[in-house]
Amino acid sequence: MKKQMNKVLRQTEFWVFLIIIFLALIIQARSGAFFANNNIVDIMRSMICPSLYAVCALLAFVSTGPDVSFPLVAALSSYLAITISIKINYDGPWFVVYLIGMFFGALMGALNGFIIVKYKFPSLIVTLGTSSLFSGILLGTFEAARMDLPATLQRFAELSLLTVKNEKTGLGSTLPMPFLILVAVYIAAYLVLNYTMVGRGVYAIGGDEISAERAGFNVKKIRFGIFVVNGMIASIAGLCYAVMSMRYLPNEYAGGEMVVIAAIILGGTRMTGGIGTLKGCILGTLLLTMVTNSLILVGISVYWQKVFIGAIIIIGTAIPAIQSIFGKNKGKKVKGGEAA
Amino acid sequence: MENILSVKGIKKSFGGVHALKGVDLTIRKGETHCLAGENGCGKSTIIKVISGFYKPDGGTIKVDGRDYPVMTPADAIKAGVQVIYQDFSIFPNLTVIENLAFNQVLANGKKFVNKKEFRKIAEEAVAKINFNVDMDALVETLPVADKQLIAISRALLDNAKLIIMDEPTTALTKKEVKRLFEIIADLKKNGITILFVSHKLDEVFEISDSITILRSGENVISCPASEMTEEKFAYYMTGRHFDNQELADNKKRTYGEEVLSVENLSAPGFEDISFKLHKGEILGVTGQLGSGRTELSLSLFGLNRPTAGRIMVEGKEAKLTDVSKAEELGIALVPEDRLTEGLFLPQSIIKNITVTRFDALAGRLGFIREDSLVEESAKWVKELGVATKNHEFPVQTLSGGNQQKVVLAKWLANNPKILILNGPTVGVDIGAKYDIHKLLHKLAADGMAIIVVSDDTAEVIATCDSAIVMHDGRITGILEKEDLTEAKLAEAAI
Repeated sequence: MKKQMNKVLRQTEFWVFLIIIFLALIIQARSGAFFANNNIVDIMRSMICPSLYAVCALLAFVSTGPDVSFPLVAALSSYLAITISIKINYDGPWFVVYLIGMFFGALMGALNGFIIVKYKFPSLIVTLGTSSLFSGILLGTFEAARMDLPATLQRFAELSLLTVKNEKTGLGSTLPMPFLILVAVYIAAYLVLNYTMVGRGVYAIGGDEISAERAGFNVKKIRFGIFVVNGMIASIAGLCYAVMSMRYLPNEYAGGEMVVIAAIILGGTRMTGGIGTLKGCILGTLLLTMVTNSLILVGISVYWQKVFIGAIIIIGTAIPAIQSIFGKNKGKKVKGGEAA
Repeated sequence: MENILSVKGIKKSFGGVHALKGVDLTIRKGETHCLAGENGCGKSTIIKVISGFYKPDGGTIKVDGRDYPVMTPADAIKAGVQVIYQDFSIFPNLTVIENLAFNQVLANGKKFVNKKEFRKIAEEAVAKINFNVDMDALVETLPVADKQLIAISRALLDNAKLIIMDEPTTALTKKEVKRLFEIIADLKKNGITILFVSHKLDEVFEISDSITILRSGENVISCPASEMTEEKFAYYMTGRHFDNQELADNKKRTYGEEVLSVENLSAPGFEDISFKLHKGEILGVTGQLGSGRTELSLSLFGLNRPTAGRIMVEGKEAKLTDVSKAEELGIALVPEDRLTEGLFLPQSIIKNITVTRFDALAGRLGFIREDSLVEESAKWVKELGVATKNHEFPVQTLSGGNQQKVVLAKWLANNPKILILNGPTVGVDIGAKYDIHKLLHKLAADGMAIIVVSDDTAEVIATCDSAIVMHDGRITGILEKEDLTEAKLAEAAI
């Protein structure tokens, strides 16, 4: 029992969870509006895209290193999916548009994966480079501009999963369908990461690449696969963003990567690889979303939010360091106890 | 008895460098065979050939009576050959269970994770060597010895017949080495053959039935362990004769006046230490890990502030509060861990040797003249026999012994009166060890006072005129001249 407690205490996720509760209570006490139904739904809604990106960031960090290309993969692949659907006057089921996007996302991910696996370049450099490339194609070659969605996506966007109205303030909020997509992606990712050998391989190659190869994992295939999957998830996120905004906004994608990476590091993902969970992704994203969404409830200006985010990132990433010092001291005590 | 492994005439070169020039290795079933040789002799290469990771340029491989014209890693495992690498091939970020089970699950071609099956495989593995460990712990939280046992028990799962252990004792404490040897003895009883790769003399004699020594990619000798002696072993490894008599004769020198006197000194790590050191004397400070020997050496160099007692240097009381004070008084310390404390690894040999001399070598305006550095370092490289082709090379390209020589040169360049060496030959091969010992004798003959801090009793006996033995922070014995013998050291250590 005590051992189990210790294990929980050592997990960064647990501490992030405590911070979230603490922050929620403060906001509730100061504004009385945090636990209002519309605020909760608002937070869930705001979490959809960052949480999807977080899976990309997680897979890349755990296995290889940072991937910063997902916002641009999302932008370019959703642009292609939407443009093609409009050009051919497609009006079938909405998910086909997603499939088109995923196809292009996979291609872009494959480009990342190919360069990283074949030439062993650092993933940060490669994905920075391809980001720039995708951005050039999107804004230079295609001259992408704002545009309306194809009719099928428009209808999909107008559906709502849940609509709530705050009795006191009269403010309403709706939870869009992409929330279900988020849930589906997380369930699939959870099953693959924990219950398939390929999923365990993601962690194994992040832990020690040479050991993984000796054990019989196909390191190259797994790594390439991760970047392809990342491309597909990014394209899903990109289309969800368009659906939730009711139109395609090409300039709104770039720059999202840093907050997402901060969120997953906060959630316990180790920058050197091998460690990181989906639970941590959700918690980290939730914390950062709460800060951006809810501090305004306490009357803190938008400019100060950035200061808060910065502070949380620094404190959050310091937690593992503090823990390791704490853990070491504890270890010593235990040893002393045994000797005595 | 039949042979489990027989390789003949193995050749392998890398880009024109002949790593193996026709190596033979024959191992009988059920024996513990030691493969020895200095760094770079081809030990690792032959292991990789046997385990199928390198394809040899020539030669034959026969395992358990079957010829393998081409050996792949999978063939090797199927034939029962398992390698325990120095890094143990583990996943620090995963649990003990996963570390143990992965290989077998993957070998069976399973695609999904069955937690019960994982646990069963893992439990079967640890049962083979009676290894007690928290199955759900992350491997990175375990001590090195446990990581090694994970690698060993995992190897046994694959029906290992021949287990190759690549320098398995490098990172272990004495107690852990003992446990490892018990496990090896157990494996031997179960008919498993062990190829034990090491260059540590005492271990080789303790554990092995027969010995093969390689030097520069060639066989030098293969014989039963009983036919091997210490001198032969050193000769075959290095190709040089070591005149231990010469070292012994050197010890008949006389000391000069007293340069250092430590009186009732206490500091964190040790208590009430007193001794005297004379010009031209080599004093050993020995004791187990944690006996306070390292702390004492740090106090003498201003890195561990004394709480009581005093230190007299050349008759005057010295307050050694920091390193620069110690340096002013002519004291130099060669630290225990040369990689982190004594060298700038990516920097050139020249810069490493001259770093303590920058002030003295600088011109009038404080600029350093490049040629004076080159000259100074060339002098020391020659004096100490550092084997290198280019003094501009980073120090990390040198072997352990040569790195240690560079550390020595760095401090000798300052011409100290008192030289303290902590573990001067840890991780250094026999040839370089002998050179370093000889150098210490020469320095002492020139009048330097030297303190050798070491847990290697053979080293203390070979180099020192007298020795203090420490235990639990106190002196438990002082041995001088003729009294300095293996037996008396052991007696004092308890």
